[in-house]
Amino acid sequence: MADKKITKEKTKVYIQTKVWPFLKNILINHNYVVSLILLLIIGRIASSNFLTFANIMNLVKSSTFIGIIALGMTMVIISGNIDLSVGSILAFTAANTAIMFNNTENVWLSLGYAILVGTLLGFINGFFIGKAKVASFIVTLATMAAFRSLTIQQGQGGPILINQAAYYSILRNLGYGTFLKIPYLVWIFIIIVLLMLFLMTKTKFGRYVYAVGSNEKAAKLSGINVDRIKIYIYSLTGLLTGIAAFLYVARFGSVDTATAGKSFELDAIAAVAIGGTSMAGGKGFIQGTFFGIVVLYAIDSVLSALRVPAFVNDLIKGILILGAVLLQKVLNNRKANN
Amino acid sequence: MIVEFKNIYKNFGAVQALDNVSFLIGNAEIHGLLGENGAGKSTLMNILGGVLPPTSGTIVIDGVEFQHLTPHQAVELGISFIHQELNLVNDLKVFENLFINREITKGKIYLDKKEMIRKSNEVFKRMNISIDPTLYVRELDTLEKQLVEIARAILFESKLIIMDEPTTALTDKEINNLFSIMRELKKNGISCIYISHKMPELFTICDRYTVLRDGKFIASGFFKDIDENKATELLVGRKIIEEKDIHRPQLQTETVLEVNDLSCPPYFHDITFSVKKGEVVAITGLFGDGRGELSEALFGARKVANGEIIKNGKKLNLSSIKQVMKSGIGMIPRNRKERSIIKDMNILNNVSIAHFNAKHKKFFISNKEEIERFEKNRKVTNIKANSPKDPITSLSGGNQQKVIFARWFELDSDVYLLDNPTQGIDVGAKFEIYKLINYLAEQGKSIIVFSSEFPEIYKICHRCIIMYRGKINKIMNHDELNEVDMMFYSTGSNRKES
Repeated sequence: MADKKITKEKTKVYIQTKVWPFLKNILINHNYVVSLILLLIIGRIASSNFLTFANIMNLVKSSTFIGIIALGMTMVIISGNIDLSVGSILAFTAANTAIMFNNTENVWLSLGYAILVGTLLGFINGFFIGKAKVASFIVTLATMAAFRSLTIQQGQGGPILINQAAYYSILRNLGYGTFLKIPYLVWIFIIIVLLMLFLMTKTKFGRYVYAVGSNEKAAKLSGINVDRIKIYIYSLTGLLTGIAAFLYVARFGSVDTATAGKSFELDAIAAVAIGGTSMAGGKGFIQGTFFGIVVLYAIDSVLSALRVPAFVNDLIKGILILGAVLLQKVLNNRKANN
Repeated sequence: MIVEFKNIYKNFGAVQALDNVSFLIGNAEIHGLLGENGAGKSTLMNILGGVLPPTSGTIVIDGVEFQHLTPHQAVELGISFIHQELNLVNDLKVFENLFINREITKGKIYLDKKEMIRKSNEVFKRMNISIDPTLYVRELDTLEKQLVEIARAILFESKLIIMDEPTTALTDKEINNLFSIMRELKKNGISCIYISHKMPELFTICDRYTVLRDGKFIASGFFKDIDENKATELLVGRKIIEEKDIHRPQLQTETVLEVNDLSCPPYFHDITFSVKKGEVVAITGLFGDGRGELSEALFGARKVANGEIIKNGKKLNLSSIKQVMKSGIGMIPRNRKERSIIKDMNILNNVSIAHFNAKHKKFFISNKEEIERFEKNRKVTNIKANSPKDPITSLSGGNQQKVIFARWFELDSDVYLLDNPTQGIDVGAKFEIYKLINYLAEQGKSIIVFSSEFPEIYKICHRCIIMYRGKINKIMNHDELNEVDMMFYSTGSNRKES
């Protein structure tokens, strides 16, 4: 009897000191996990085929392109900035990668070229933001328009097509093939997530990004070269967008210059927000963005499983984004007041 | 207005912020509210202003009992709160700020600017000050901004004005000006709650005091019945470190830093001085002396027009902050919240950030090394924190400043620039900072302290450089130092006005 009482007490203490703070932390900082689980449950109820391996892989696979971009966006937003030009960078880089591939018929050269072009476009953003100190919203709004226009000019308003024979023989497999039953795209996405996670949490550079976003003046007076950090951040975002552009070409086999990557920046920002990153800078998580983008695509998937007309998808998305951010805010305020 | 706090309790979760506080503020009285950071002053004032409800207890205002006030009620009753961070809109004009949310209109819609300007002038005249109401608030200096806030309180017939550390950014002359206005208000029957860490000011302006410590009421009484030592004792609850614990270590002969003809118009010109090993040099002056800009220039954070800095016989490369850091110069900036603290980071990461920049050769970070470094510095700086992983904002001002000291100790610099290092921290923590400065000097470091507080300068410095309008006006050794002369040279009284 007495023993039972003691164990009961112990359990109670354990719950109060360990389990409850853990749950609270998840609710406040990582509630995208809750959103995802809820969506998966709803999906499972709606359709017995929802929680299959193939469907989950599809979910992650389709989120790869915007997902990789959103990782860069996370870094940009943690540093207290924004990048509206990623969709246009993707279009421009994809178009030029397609042309490069047509000319060389070499996968590695095309990949290198995509990375180079993406980084260069990102560097242009970074230069104006870091060195010329123009607000990032304005710079990337301008380059969003400019890069898109250049791309459309290149395609003369239409698509840029890929040499079909070469595409089918060497490039298409990257977009559709699997390794250990998991699509290449998913492998690549996961590896980049891990690399970015590592960069942001275990390196000096990551620390600087958080410091710049939290208090730029203090970061500067600690000797951090803030201008250069901003240039790095945008260049790296460009680089990631370049990789996404290459995968995009591999997957779709052509680039429509007017629509490729259109409004990718909005989905990327949405994923970052759902993932718990503060829009004011200084706080955020790479892993959050990973879940954020999957949640975003899970919504589409769940809605189609529920046979809801696709027209209201964006409405539901909007509500979910607001809800997630609101929840973070409410719980955070409660934490501050207690 | 007569305000009586009756058995006020306030809990934040498990933390007891106020524990049975009762005292009375009389009519036309300037009441000094004393307490270290975290003693519960702000919580109590927020309860009075209606921002927070008390957990239990009542406030009696002019005979009417309130369980808890709403912000709206507080304003209606005539309670105004002048915050430490001024609540003015920089991009609006003075009169627009004065009448914000209470604009005078013609026919409900059209703003009656003329009338508002007239009334603004009227109130400034009553206060005996001259501020042009049509200026933008951005163009005012700190004192004028403070006065505009007070003018707003008078304009809407406040009966009680709460001032939270109103003098931190003011010079002595401006403080005197503020005090004469406060005395004028008192004559008109307005009460005032005055929150400050500065003892001489409290003794000058306040009639009665109340001391809070750890959320508890400690004592109330007349200032004329106590002295500064007694007040400090009430405040800290123990005998604080005796002044003799602060001593200036023996000077060494070797010159470490030489500044030659450093100029940065329009802020400062032809600054030449040198600092020896183990020496503490103060640089002081009044508003507009250019010492803030000088401190930035010495750290490479501001470009200079000409001049050079020589450290250990080598000319310093001033091209970037990082270069200067690497040459062995560390800096504790003024205005901790704005320039030092990285608020979203924990204590540990706040300490590491400068180290990563100047000393950490590897690209990667090791948590273990980070904690080792922190523990080493924690011992020296005596940081009081539960866990190094707590957010830096959970610490008191004094402990935050110690974290910033730890940030620079980690670099083991030879020269430390301390810009207003005890800004906004309480008496006990101030002494700990002085002891840290002592410790540094004993280690043979050279220290330049930028400060405007005479007692502080007198306690810690070997020499004091007094600046006036961007130039060195006088250099005094410790044995020549006295407050009257310091004021004399800071105000440029020795110079014929040109």
